[in-house]
Amino acid sequence: MSHLVIEANKLSKVYEGVVPVKAVNEVDNEFTAIVGPSGSGKTTLLNIIGGLDRPTTGNIKVNGNELSGMKPNQLIDFRLNHIGFVFQSYNLIPVLTAKENTEFIMLLQKIAKNQRDERVESLLKEVGLGDRMDARPSQLSGGQQQRVAVARALASKPDFVLADEPTANLDSASAFKLLDIMAQLNKEEGITFLFSTHDQRVIERARRVITLEDGMIKSDEKR
Amino acid sequence: MLIKIAWRNIWRNRVRSFVVIFAIALGLWAGVFASAFVQGMMEGKINSIIQYEISHFQFHEKDYREEFKTELYLENTSEIEKQLNADDRIIGYSSRLIAMGMVASANKNGSAKIVGINLDDEKQVTKLDTRLKEGSYFEGIKRNPILVSTRFAEKYKLKLRNKVVVTVQDLDGEITAAVFRIVGFYKTGNGIFDDLNVFVRQSDLRNLLKIQDNDVHEIAVLSNSSDLSDPLAKEYQGQFEDQEVLAWPDLSPGMRYIIDIFDVYLYIIVGIILVALLFSIVNTMLMAVLERVKEIGMLMAVGMTKSKVFMMIMWETIFVSMIGAPLGLLFSYVSIAYFGKVGINLATDVYEEMGFSNVIYPYLEAAKYLDVTIMVVFMALLAAIYPALKALSLKPVEAIRKI
Repeated sequence: MSHLVIEANKLSKVYEGVVPVKAVNEVDNEFTAIVGPSGSGKTTLLNIIGGLDRPTTGNIKVNGNELSGMKPNQLIDFRLNHIGFVFQSYNLIPVLTAKENTEFIMLLQKIAKNQRDERVESLLKEVGLGDRMDARPSQLSGGQQQRVAVARALASKPDFVLADEPTANLDSASAFKLLDIMAQLNKEEGITFLFSTHDQRVIERARRVITLEDGMIKSDEKR
Repeated sequence: MLIKIAWRNIWRNRVRSFVVIFAIALGLWAGVFASAFVQGMMEGKINSIIQYEISHFQFHEKDYREEFKTELYLENTSEIEKQLNADDRIIGYSSRLIAMGMVASANKNGSAKIVGINLDDEKQVTKLDTRLKEGSYFEGIKRNPILVSTRFAEKYKLKLRNKVVVTVQDLDGEITAAVFRIVGFYKTGNGIFDDLNVFVRQSDLRNLLKIQDNDVHEIAVLSNSSDLSDPLAKEYQGQFEDQEVLAWPDLSPGMRYIIDIFDVYLYIIVGIILVALLFSIVNTMLMAVLERVKEIGMLMAVGMTKSKVFMMIMWETIFVSMIGAPLGLLFSYVSIAYFGKVGINLATDVYEEMGFSNVIYPYLEAAKYLDVTIMVVFMALLAAIYPALKALSLKPVEAIRKI
């Protein structure tokens, strides 16, 4: 996966009384951290890439899909098939088991049951939860819940996984384990991970670090 | 999966779900029981009309019901009686002589409907003998016995064996009077009927009115089903075109209007209950949506369409309704079955004054159960629309940021 996958052109997002996010150009790496202080525009950029938010100016193409002109239903479809999300506070469905939470996305994609079962089992084993498939989120630790969230994000075989502060609520051991798993999945599944973070543990693992300040790229370091 | 999530969601907050389920069950019970109460009241009134007043249909001379003139009697009723005797659908009939006259006691006098009956026929048709509260059914007094209601007796301060003077206009237009002696007191539960009607032997009244044997003012017929009232009346009208044969609803059109009014009244009561219930469900479901803003935002973010989110909320309400509605129906069925047997005593004479019994036996047709159930389920779905729309108005990017 070394092709151009995200192309942003003169992108900006303006909030009332808040700093604007401007001009991020190309993101073409596979394990990229977007870093910067709070309010620098990390989450906003991820939201725009994920089709959750629209830019004020400019346009953005993700794998050739021009997001700015998409209708709401097209954006939903785009997110379902191209983007996996990992949120800071896990955001699992509390009434579903780990297995069901992971399977849920594939159901929305109308994937056949045997394929779903196979992939869910494989993913949960990969994230180290093969023996907790029937546990509900309330029965799992924070680290385990976030691993289910990663499995869920990967279930739809997305082009990207957008992870917004995925380790912020985790202790060190859980954070390292999660990062190991994501790095391994990145390698095995070939899926690009894009993190918004100021967690040093994530930054150290990233192969590219884009630093934002006041909505502008301050540095872009490839390792 | 959508249905699974919706089903499990309703058990996330059990207390709240049970409150909604209980509200639906209670609302349904209230609606159904109110319906049964009103219908029981109406059935009681109809039964009372059929049993004590009109029977299923009646024969009269044309114009009799408008003028109540003594001379408007049915002549030689043997042909009518022959036909009725041969008809398997007929349980019995009672030929009556009727005079609108005055009754005077030592304390009071007033108007009354003096009904001259054949004692055995009347037993078969109106079971008048079973309504006796005191005294006997025309036994123990040989000359001119008269049966009055307990209400009548109270107003006229009458006791058993007291004398009253009955004054009527005979066939020749002459005012004629006779002394009658109280043989018993009856009570039908229909105050208006009881206030007006006094019963005497037909032969005694016949002598007063000077009307020949076999001539009567009215033949009241009881069939083996209320549903036969109209068809039988029409059938006999075809055979006896010179007389008037009418079924009970046509003989008592006021009752038909009252039944229609009460039907509307019933739907108004149920409607008010359901509107209150609607707000309760809107409030609860709105709480359920608003406390899951972040989760709903996540569902939309990861690719769940708005229609699926909408359906998820609707399913939650449907499930709650599907639990609440059968419970409500069960409560209704049990309470109606119980009170339908023992009755509800309103402990007031107000209803009796209006011609209704003061003991109501709730009763409901199966179709009304269905009507009220449909209304409740429709209301529950209606109540879910606003919270579901509220969920749709969430923007995923804002919703997932909420704490």
